[in-house]
Amino acid sequence: MVRGSWTWCLALALLLVVPLGGACKKKGLRPGEGAAGGAGGGIGEEGLGGSSLERAKRGLGPEENGILKDVHFGFDRYDLDSEGRDILGRNVEWLRQNPRAKVELEGHCDSRGTIEYNLALGAKRAKTVKDYLVTQGIAADRVSTISYGKELPLCHDENETCWARNRRVHAVVLGP
Amino acid sequence: MRTFLVGVVLVALAARDARAVVTGAIFGPGSESFPIAVVPPKDLGGDPGGALGARFAKALTRDLDLSGYFRLVDPKTFVESETSGITAGEIDFVGWSAIGAQALVKGGISASGSGIALEVRLFDVPGRRDVPQASKRFSGGRDDVPRMAHRMADAILEFLTSERGPFDSKIAMVSTRSGRLKDVYTWTFDQDDPVRVTDERSLVIAPRWRPDARALVFASYREHFPRLFQVDVGSRQTARLVPGPGVVLDGAWSPDGTRLLVTREEGGNSDIYLLDRSGQVVQRLTDHWAIDVSPAWAPDGRRFAFCSARTGSPQIYVMNVDGSEVVRVSHTGSYNTSPAWSPKGDHIAYTTRGGGGFQVVVTTPDGGNAQTISSAGSNEDPSWAPDGRYLVFSSTRAGGHHLFLADRDGRTQKQLTRGAGDDTSPAWSARLE
Repeated sequence: MVRGSWTWCLALALLLVVPLGGACKKKGLRPGEGAAGGAGGGIGEEGLGGSSLERAKRGLGPEENGILKDVHFGFDRYDLDSEGRDILGRNVEWLRQNPRAKVELEGHCDSRGTIEYNLALGAKRAKTVKDYLVTQGIAADRVSTISYGKELPLCHDENETCWARNRRVHAVVLGP
Repeated sequence: MRTFLVGVVLVALAARDARAVVTGAIFGPGSESFPIAVVPPKDLGGDPGGALGARFAKALTRDLDLSGYFRLVDPKTFVESETSGITAGEIDFVGWSAIGAQALVKGGISASGSGIALEVRLFDVPGRRDVPQASKRFSGGRDDVPRMAHRMADAILEFLTSERGPFDSKIAMVSTRSGRLKDVYTWTFDQDDPVRVTDERSLVIAPRWRPDARALVFASYREHFPRLFQVDVGSRQTARLVPGPGVVLDGAWSPDGTRLLVTREEGGNSDIYLLDRSGQVVQRLTDHWAIDVSPAWAPDGRRFAFCSARTGSPQIYVMNVDGSEVVRVSHTGSYNTSPAWSPKGDHIAYTTRGGGGFQVVVTTPDGGNAQTISSAGSNEDPSWAPDGRYLVFSSTRAGGHHLFLADRDGRTQKQLTRGAGDDTSPAWSARLE
């Protein structure tokens, strides 16, 4: 899942197509999560990319945004608002500029509600984003979807700010 | 005293021994009104330190407390020691009565090698006699002592309430308590901590017991996408249950163990399917653009409850297993999910959004008489006890997520699991046989 992360960041930086907005910085780490340095020395790249589940298995929190920005949703909703469409417009641009890139769209939910329903809801959110990308001309076989429901939240507080951050579709860029 | 007299009348009507003093008809779970004393079984040889007897008494006491019917008399006030006699003629009923005990449990245990023999009797203190219907003789291994206690608790409840207790059973759950993402765990009523039964170290979803209580169906992300697996609880062997590349969010065996209801997600939409024993599709039961999820069998195997957002918000519905006769069960609230059908068939429980969080509702299968049985914190994913009288669900009321027990009227509420990590998605097994 992580292969190509640095390559894509580098490509971006050279092209200056999209504001990077910290996409290449290690993010979301908490003390003790130890992202620095690969096992065999050299350049560590643990802090970037990878599916939210793969990151969790390595003791890392989910990534917020990334090369492609997260799209957010209302409670128990899976329709796009104008901000979401704006973000997806920029994501579509990037996908057009990087025609060999594939993405996996992760549907996430806030902590409210039951586990199975939120899994189904996350799948709806991911599908909404996929459908939008496809209508904008991105080939469907470049876009896969998966739902993590409320299983892998970005933040753990019980307030609207945190809930809103957790109701999202996060795009993981896979190597070509 | 009035309770006593009503009890006598009701017991007489129930064609039980008219001298018995107690019946569940007059004191429900949550009343914690019936005083009972549990004396550890006396050593009759082979248990000189009393460890086995103490283990039995501890497990039985916990069960009786959890039932919500009893007030456990403080052992410090006991009028007889653990070495006193265990026949009605030897018991100081006047003394037990003086400290308020209406019922008394005494017994004897003998151990040899790895085997034990245990005899336990329930005594009716005011009646000054033993109760043969709730007196048991057990034999088995030393490790079977807790199960003997659960069976005794179930028998005492059966005598007093005309409904066998649910404690000789297991509760499965998803837990993070090992600090390694999620796995499926099981717990029995004598254990301090749940025991891990899978080695997924991934996300696991919705464990549900096979009807024989020997295996659990669950969804796991071990192959990237969620798929359905089954773990044999004895051997810990895990195998795929539904073949093919499809995404499966949950699944449950029919009461006769021959078919499965599962939720499959395809193209972003989840629908419910009936599968045969080998995981092949028999019939697609929902075909709607909205979310359909969480199928829960009725005990007769002819209907199931499920959650659907087909009217714009998640609600509980009931459907025949051939896809016909869809009836909405939940009539209030904008968020009702995770149904569970009582093994007695007469109630459906589900989760509703309300009270500043999420609460457990119990209703009849036609949606009548809905009552909310929880209030503190968020309470989710109810599962019924085999007696249809109690439920287990996850709750945040004590911080984190832990499992709680309630009776179906919500009068008794007891914490079952504690400690580090979140315990969610409980599933109460059938009685162990």
